[in-house]
Amino acid sequence: MQIPTARLLLIGLGAIVLASFLPLWASGYILGLLTIAYYFGVFAMAWDLLFGFAGEVNFGPTFLIGVGAYTAGILDNLYQPPIWLCIAAGTAAAITGGLVLALPALRLRGPYFGLTTLVAVLILQNLIVVDAHLTGGEIGLTVPDVISISDTTNYLIALWFMAISGAILFSLSRSPVGLILQASGQDAVQAGALGFNVTKHKLTAFVISAFFSGLAGTLMVFYLGSASVGTFIDITVGVQIIISAVLGGRRTILGAVLGAIFLIAMSEALRPLGDLSNFIVFGMALIVVLIYPNGFFGLLTRTREDV
Amino acid sequence: MTVFWQILIDGFAISSLYALGATGFALIFGVSGVLNLSHGSLMVAAVVAAWAAGDSLHVGPYTGAAIGVAVGFSLSMLTYFVVVSPLQHTRKIREEEKEIFILTATLLWGIMIQQLIAYFYTDNAKTVAPIVQGVIKIVGVRTPANEIFTAIVCGLAIAILWLLVNRTRAGKAVLAASMNPRGITLLGVELSQVYVAVWAIYGVLVGVAGVLLGMFLGISSYSAGPLTASAFSIVVLGGLGSVPGALIAAYVVGYLETITAYLISPAYRTIPALLLLVAVMYVRPRGLLGRR
Amino acid sequence: MSATERAHLEVTGLTKRFGGLVAVKEMSLSVAAGKILGLIGPNGSGKSTVMKLIMGIERPDGGSVRISGVEVCGWPSHRIARMGAGIVFQHSRPLHRQTVLENIKLALLPDKLTRLFADPQTDARARAIAARVGLTAVLDRRPGTLPFADLRKIEIAKAIARDPQVLLIDEPFAGLTARETAAFSDLICELRDDGRAVLLVDHNVKSVSRLVDRVIAMYVGERIAEGSADEVMRNETVRRVYLGGTIETAARPESSFRDAATPFLEIDKVSVHYGKAQALEQVSIHVHEREFVAVVGLNGAGKTTLFNTISGLLPYAGEVRRQGATLRGQSAAAIARGGIVQCPEGRELFVDMTVRENLDLGGQHLPTEESGAQIEWLFELFPILRDRQRQAAGTLSGGEQQMLTIARALMMKPKLLMLDEPTLGLAPVILEQISKALERLRQTTPITVLLAEQNVTFALPHADRVYVLEHARIVWEGDPAKFAAEGGAGLL
Repeated sequence: MQIPTARLLLIGLGAIVLASFLPLWASGYILGLLTIAYYFGVFAMAWDLLFGFAGEVNFGPTFLIGVGAYTAGILDNLYQPPIWLCIAAGTAAAITGGLVLALPALRLRGPYFGLTTLVAVLILQNLIVVDAHLTGGEIGLTVPDVISISDTTNYLIALWFMAISGAILFSLSRSPVGLILQASGQDAVQAGALGFNVTKHKLTAFVISAFFSGLAGTLMVFYLGSASVGTFIDITVGVQIIISAVLGGRRTILGAVLGAIFLIAMSEALRPLGDLSNFIVFGMALIVVLIYPNGFFGLLTRTREDV
Repeated sequence: MTVFWQILIDGFAISSLYALGATGFALIFGVSGVLNLSHGSLMVAAVVAAWAAGDSLHVGPYTGAAIGVAVGFSLSMLTYFVVVSPLQHTRKIREEEKEIFILTATLLWGIMIQQLIAYFYTDNAKTVAPIVQGVIKIVGVRTPANEIFTAIVCGLAIAILWLLVNRTRAGKAVLAASMNPRGITLLGVELSQVYVAVWAIYGVLVGVAGVLLGMFLGISSYSAGPLTASAFSIVVLGGLGSVPGALIAAYVVGYLETITAYLISPAYRTIPALLLLVAVMYVRPRGLLGRR
Repeated sequence: MSATERAHLEVTGLTKRFGGLVAVKEMSLSVAAGKILGLIGPNGSGKSTVMKLIMGIERPDGGSVRISGVEVCGWPSHRIARMGAGIVFQHSRPLHRQTVLENIKLALLPDKLTRLFADPQTDARARAIAARVGLTAVLDRRPGTLPFADLRKIEIAKAIARDPQVLLIDEPFAGLTARETAAFSDLICELRDDGRAVLLVDHNVKSVSRLVDRVIAMYVGERIAEGSADEVMRNETVRRVYLGGTIETAARPESSFRDAATPFLEIDKVSVHYGKAQALEQVSIHVHEREFVAVVGLNGAGKTTLFNTISGLLPYAGEVRRQGATLRGQSAAAIARGGIVQCPEGRELFVDMTVRENLDLGGQHLPTEESGAQIEWLFELFPILRDRQRQAAGTLSGGEQQMLTIARALMMKPKLLMLDEPTLGLAPVILEQISKALERLRQTTPITVLLAEQNVTFALPHADRVYVLEHARIVWEGDPAKFAAEGGAGLL
C-alpha cells in the first residue's frame, strides 16, 4: 500500500516546519550535528534516486560529492570569487563528473559498474593526496569564506535545502518521469520495447543525482569552512551514505533522510566509545542488511507482494 | 644499472605478494561468485594477530606467523557463514539484487573488522618480526633476505594451490564447480561443501599473504582499504573469474608500482595501475583472460 | 495489392549472426493488415530472434524491415515501438512495485524528460485498455498478487496501449489452461479485426492453427515451409524436422519386468510451478527396473521440468519415490550419488577441461581402479572419445559432446539414467551411433533409462513404453507400437 504523494509531502512539510523551531531551545552542538545530518540526507536521497530509479549501484557517491566540494573549495582559495559562483562551479563540475561516470555505466553489466565507481573514488583520492599544494593533501583544505557563522542560520539553510531537494526528488520519483526511470532501471529491454530511450533517461538520472550531490557538497564546504579526504571522499563516507539510504528503505527517497539522521545521531551518541562507535554503527547496518533489507520505510509500508 | 636490478627484485617480491592475495580473491569470485570487499581487512587482521602474539605472548616468529594464518582462516570462515552464506540463501531479497547486497555486506564487515582492530590496537603501523633476517647480495644489489623468502613462500603457496586444483580429485571438483555449478551437482558433488572448502583455502592464503606482508612493510588498520582495492584492481585487470589472469595482472601491477616508485616518486606509486584499470574498464571490461 | 491490403509488416532477407553462428538466414515474410501469420519452429530455429530483430531488440546484420512502408531496419527498439509496433514477450515482465493501472499507464507515456504531471486523459485511456483485455477488476492490485493469466493480459495491454499497427506475440498460450487459451484466442482475433498485422511465434502449429491465416515454418534459421496451418502440419520436411522419419519399435511387455508391485521410480501426481506458470500438472508416471521408458513431447511441454524435479533441483507438490522410498528432502547431489543420474539438455560439460578430465569427474566417487576400468568400457562404447580424450570438451563437435555427456553420466554407474533430448540439433550419422550405444546398454547392462525426446523416430525403437507430455500434462500412455500406428498424429 503506497502512501499517497500529497499526504507524504504534507507530513513532510509539517515536520520541516516543526524542525525549523528547533533553534529556539537546542544547543549549537545539536544544531551543528543536525546540519551535517541534513546535508547527508541530501547525499543519501541523490544516491537513492540513482539506485532505485536508474538501477545503478554507485559505490562511490563521494566521487561526485568530492568533485563538487573540492572544485568549489579550490576555486575559493585561489581567486576568492563570490560564494555563489564557487557553488555554481562546484555543482557544474559534479555534473560533469556524473556524465563521465555515466558513460561506462551504460556499457557495463553487473558488478563492473559498481567497481568502476569505487575506482573513481580511489583515483580522486590519490589525485587529491598527490596534488597537495592545491588541495591540501591529506590534511585538507580550508576556505576563506563561509556562508554564515551563526549556528541557527546554517541549520535553517541546511534544513530548507534538504526540504526542497527532498520535495523535488520525491515528486520526481512519483511522477511519470519517475515511472519511466524505474522501468529503465528494472528492465531496460522492456522499457525500450515500450518506446522509451533508456540511455537518455539513465543519463538524466545521473545528472540529477550529480547535481544534488554536488550542490550539497559545495554547501557543506562553505558550512564547515574546510574540506578533507576524511570528510568528503573516503570510502567510509560513501558507505555511510549507502547505509543511510538502505536503512531508510531503498527507493523511498524520503527514507534516506531518516536513515541519515539516525546514522549521524547514532555515531555521535556512541562517540565516547572511540573507534568502537563506528564498529557498532556498521554492525547495526550489517544486521539490517542481513535481516531487514527493506529498512525503516520498508517495515512501515510492508506489503506481502513486495519481495 | 643497480637501479634496474633493484626494481627487478623489489618488484618481483611485491608482485608475488600481490599475486598470492589476488589469487585468493579470484578464487572466491570464480567459485563462489563473491567479490569479497573485506579482503584487505582479513589480511590486516592476520598481520595484527601475528604482531600481537609476538608482542604480548612473546612467541617466536614461526609461532606468530602460524597464529596469524590461523586468524586469517577463522575470519574467512566467519565471513562465509555469517555474512555471505545467509545472504546467498535468503528469500527476502530478489535474486538480481543479491550480488549488490553481498558486496555491501562484505564492505560493511570489512570496515567493522578494521574499526575493531583500530580500537584494540590503535591504527599505528605494525611490523611482524621477519622469519628470515639479514641481507643478501644478489647481482651486486643488497637485498633483505626477507624479500627472497617472501617471493619463495608465495611461489610455493601458489604452486601448491595449482597442484591441489589440477592434480587432486577434490581440487578438480572445485575447478569444475567454478566452471559449471549445475554440472558438478548433477555429478553428485554437494556445492555447499565446495564453498566451505574454497573459503577455507582462501582463509589460509589470506593469512599467509597478510603475515608475509607484515614482515615486509608496516601494516596498520588503514591499509585494509588499499589492500582490497589493489586486489580487486588486479583481479579485474586479469579478468574476473580467471586465476591465471590474476597472476599475470599481479606482476603487471606490482612492477608498474615499483617502477613508478623508483623512477618517479613513491607518492605516485598507485596511480599508473589505477589509470590502467580505468583504461581496461572502458576498452575491454572483460580484462585480460576474463570469462564471465 | 491495393492500398487497404498493403502489408503492415514486410520483412525481406533478414539475417543475423552471433559470432560464427548464423541464427537467422535471409528470412522473408509479410503480414497484411487484418491478418495473422504464425511463425513456428523448434528450439534454436531462430523464430524468437526474428521477432527481436523486427522489434529492434537485436540489430540485424542484413535485410530490410518495413512497417507500414517505412524502413526501420537498424533502428533502436524505442523508435520502432513509437513507429507502430508492439511486442508481447514470452515471459511476463511487469513492474512489480506498481499497480496494474500504473503498468498500463507507463505504456501510454511519451518519451519525454519533462513530464512531471500525468496527463488526465492517460488515466481514462489506461482504464479503457484494461477493460478491453479484461483487467478492470484488478487495476489497483500489484502484479505479485495476480494469477498467471492476468499477468499475460497485462503484457497484451502494454503492447496495444499506443494502438500499434504491428503486433508481435511470442508463445501466446504457454502456461494457460484450455479455457484461458480460448479467451486469449478470441482477444487476439479481435485485435486482428481492428486492422492490425499480427505475428504469432510458437513451437507447434496445433496451438495456433485456429487463429492463423498462414503459417511459416523455420528450422536452423531458414524458412522450410509455408502455407495454411493444415498444409504445414502435413508437410514432409516439417514432420521430419519435428518427429524424425519412419518409426520402428522393439518393445518388451510391461509384465516382463519383475518389480510390478513397486516400480523402481514412481512419480505420483507431481505439480511444479515456475513463478505463476504451471510447468507440470498432476503428472504421474512410473518406470520399472531395467525398463526403457520414453517421454515424448514438444518443446515447452515440460520434459526438462520433469527431469529437474526428479533430480531434486526444483520444488514440487506430489511425491517422487525410488523403490518405494520418497526422494523428497534429499539434496540434488545426494540423489545423483544414489544412482539417479541426469544427462541434461544443456549437457553442462566442463568446457575448459579435457574429455578425460570430464570423465574422471564423473567417476570421482569410485575407487581409482574402478574408475579407470569404467572409462575403458566407455571408450569401447564411444570409440571417438578415446581419440579425443586429451582435447578440451568445448572444442568437440555437438555429437561428440553429447556422447561425452552420456559417457560422463555412465561413469556414475547409475541405476536410472535420464536422457533429456540427446538428439537435439545432431546430424543423422551421430544419431545412429548414439542409437547403437543405447541398444548396447539395453542388451548388455541392467540399467534403467528414462528418455525425453521430441524426435519420435529416435525414441521409439528404444522404448518399452511411451508417455506423451503436452502442456504440462500426461495425455497418453501405452506401448510404442500403438503410438506408431496412430502416427504420432496428435503430436504436431
